[in-house]
Amino acid sequence: MAQAPDWDALARRSRRGRLLKSTLLIVFLTLVSIPVLLPFFWMLVIALSARTGGVESDVLWRACAVLVPGTLAYVALHLALPRHRLLSALVCSGAIVLGLWVLVGDELHLRNFRFLITPNLIEEIRGAATAGGQFPWVWEAFVNSFLVALSSTFLKVTVATLAGYYISRFTFRGRSAFLQGLLLIEVFHPWMLAIPIFLVIFWIGLLNTLAGPILVLTAIQLPFFIFIMKGFFDAVPWDIEMSAMTDGASRREAFWYVVLPQVVPGLIAITVLGFIQGWEEYVFVTALRTGNSYWVMSTYLYYVAEDVMGVDYGLVAAVSVFYIIPSLALYLFCQRYLTQMTFGGIKG
Amino acid sequence: MARITLNGLSKTWGDVVAVDDISLEIADGEFVAILGPSGCGKSTTLFMLAGVYMPTSGDILFDGARVNDVEARMRNVGIVFQSYALYPNMSVLKNILFPTRFQKLDNAEAKAHDMAALVQVDGLLDRRPSELSGGQQQRVALARALIKEPNLLLLDEPLSNLDATLRLNMRAEIRRLTRELGVTTILVTHDQIEATTMADRIVCMNAGRIEQVGTAHDLYARPSTRFVAGFIGSPPINFIDARAPGITAPDGADVIGIRPEALHASESGIPASVLHVEPMGRESLITCATDLGELKMLEPTPTSRFRDGDRLALQFKSEDVIAFDGDQKLMEGPITWQAADA
Repeated sequence: MAQAPDWDALARRSRRGRLLKSTLLIVFLTLVSIPVLLPFFWMLVIALSARTGGVESDVLWRACAVLVPGTLAYVALHLALPRHRLLSALVCSGAIVLGLWVLVGDELHLRNFRFLITPNLIEEIRGAATAGGQFPWVWEAFVNSFLVALSSTFLKVTVATLAGYYISRFTFRGRSAFLQGLLLIEVFHPWMLAIPIFLVIFWIGLLNTLAGPILVLTAIQLPFFIFIMKGFFDAVPWDIEMSAMTDGASRREAFWYVVLPQVVPGLIAITVLGFIQGWEEYVFVTALRTGNSYWVMSTYLYYVAEDVMGVDYGLVAAVSVFYIIPSLALYLFCQRYLTQMTFGGIKG
Repeated sequence: MARITLNGLSKTWGDVVAVDDISLEIADGEFVAILGPSGCGKSTTLFMLAGVYMPTSGDILFDGARVNDVEARMRNVGIVFQSYALYPNMSVLKNILFPTRFQKLDNAEAKAHDMAALVQVDGLLDRRPSELSGGQQQRVALARALIKEPNLLLLDEPLSNLDATLRLNMRAEIRRLTRELGVTTILVTHDQIEATTMADRIVCMNAGRIEQVGTAHDLYARPSTRFVAGFIGSPPINFIDARAPGITAPDGADVIGIRPEALHASESGIPASVLHVEPMGRESLITCATDLGELKMLEPTPTSRFRDGDRLALQFKSEDVIAFDGDQKLMEGPITWQAADA
């Protein structure tokens, strides 16, 4: 008879192996996340601490010495105490604030954010003669960016939803060719089309209007969104739709009351993606204007960084912080819907 | 409540014939089961009745009036799907109330509570469908189908997602409800037990055609085609070539069918050896190898006196055996077996 295995020794070995593996994994993931996180911390710290032009690298490192361990501690607590996530968030952010106060408290100030309340930023810095009032107040760019993001998102979501439903539910001549066409469009990078798009927009007279980038952004992202929505509609069983129709609903009512509520996660996902894309858009808002007919946040940031001043990093960082707040907030609120996108989106 | 007539109804999808020229009359308040294997066209028939599919040809009549062109939502048909098709975004109460949204109904709310009580889900009205068990979802689906007092209640494999005990209860429950409300009901199923236990009449379908219409007993004892004989009955009927040595069958018989319970072990008869014995609880199923092919015999004892490899002789009573002609249709006439060399 064979020797009975030493179960205790085997169990110890398995435990050790598991511990080693998860330790290595966590160390690896921590290491690769630091270069991703650091620029965000820098941006925040620069925005809050830089004084005209200069950045004290000493301040940066001291702040990051608080921020990085604080964030890591939060992640560790988040994983270790899944029941007390709010508490660990409060504790860690409290510790970070306290740490920053002690180490760099004297350096922090809000002067870099004065662009929010100063309409004539350039005149203040360079004197009225230089900029000639061309450079707008940040709120004008902010509102324009919102307009671009919101209206293109509205168009994208409406068209993608209706088209996705139709493609998912109906057979029609050229359906598969249409689907393949949608994918084919994705092959071309939209920038390749910049010149033809410019000409089209010029000919239809939308150059130098916000409608130009709104329509172009909508057109560029629609194929992908239609595909995503088709996937979500494919996942809605036929039964409930037929059931609604035998229950007395018209097709449109069945769509509205029964089918559409099933794809809300998809709607939210494409809304967030669409908004963020519109919010971040730089290429087409730049390409479709000649001169300074309209300003959006991305062009504003670009001019703050490149064109107008001798680069005031504090100001650039502050504008950046202001710029990412809306998309960051949207993303945080909706991230659980975004993660659902894969299951609906991948089915062909 | 309505009398339903199908008149030469057909449905084709391109070259595929799903339903092939079926005619059927269903009385007001009758409970009819459409029974058949998957792909036989029974669900297509159901969806044509509901108005979801348009018939390719033929007519559907409710109380004598042609409804082919009447939209699904105007037909006042209640339907319970195999998946129940509850609306996941609505509470149980909202689900039951959904049909009343499109139909003027006084006291819809009170009616919904009545229906919920009738199907015993009145304690669950605020829940979401995902928080219900299969049986509860089934009941909600029934309540939703019944709230608008449909002309016709259609049940599409309503029990196949339930476990065995629940299925037994729901069978009786559905029967009680439909009788109480007197609603004309059509049940579509591939499960013969469901059909035989619930329906007044069974319509047996195969390959888009109606094979036989009758009571459970008609279908079991006098199956009009070979398909029905083979489809109804569990364990299934034994088929033997009518021209096999020793068989005496009427002229023109192609195949004969012997139910497993019609066979019994005897002193003399078809020589057989036991291949395996399957205890089935109340009785045992014995599979035997014979010169006529493999035969299944049902022994009415929980434990069999036979073991694998035992030799025995099989005998049957002539009146328990049926024959089918070359067109697979039922034939009359006595059937006997005698040893070939006797």
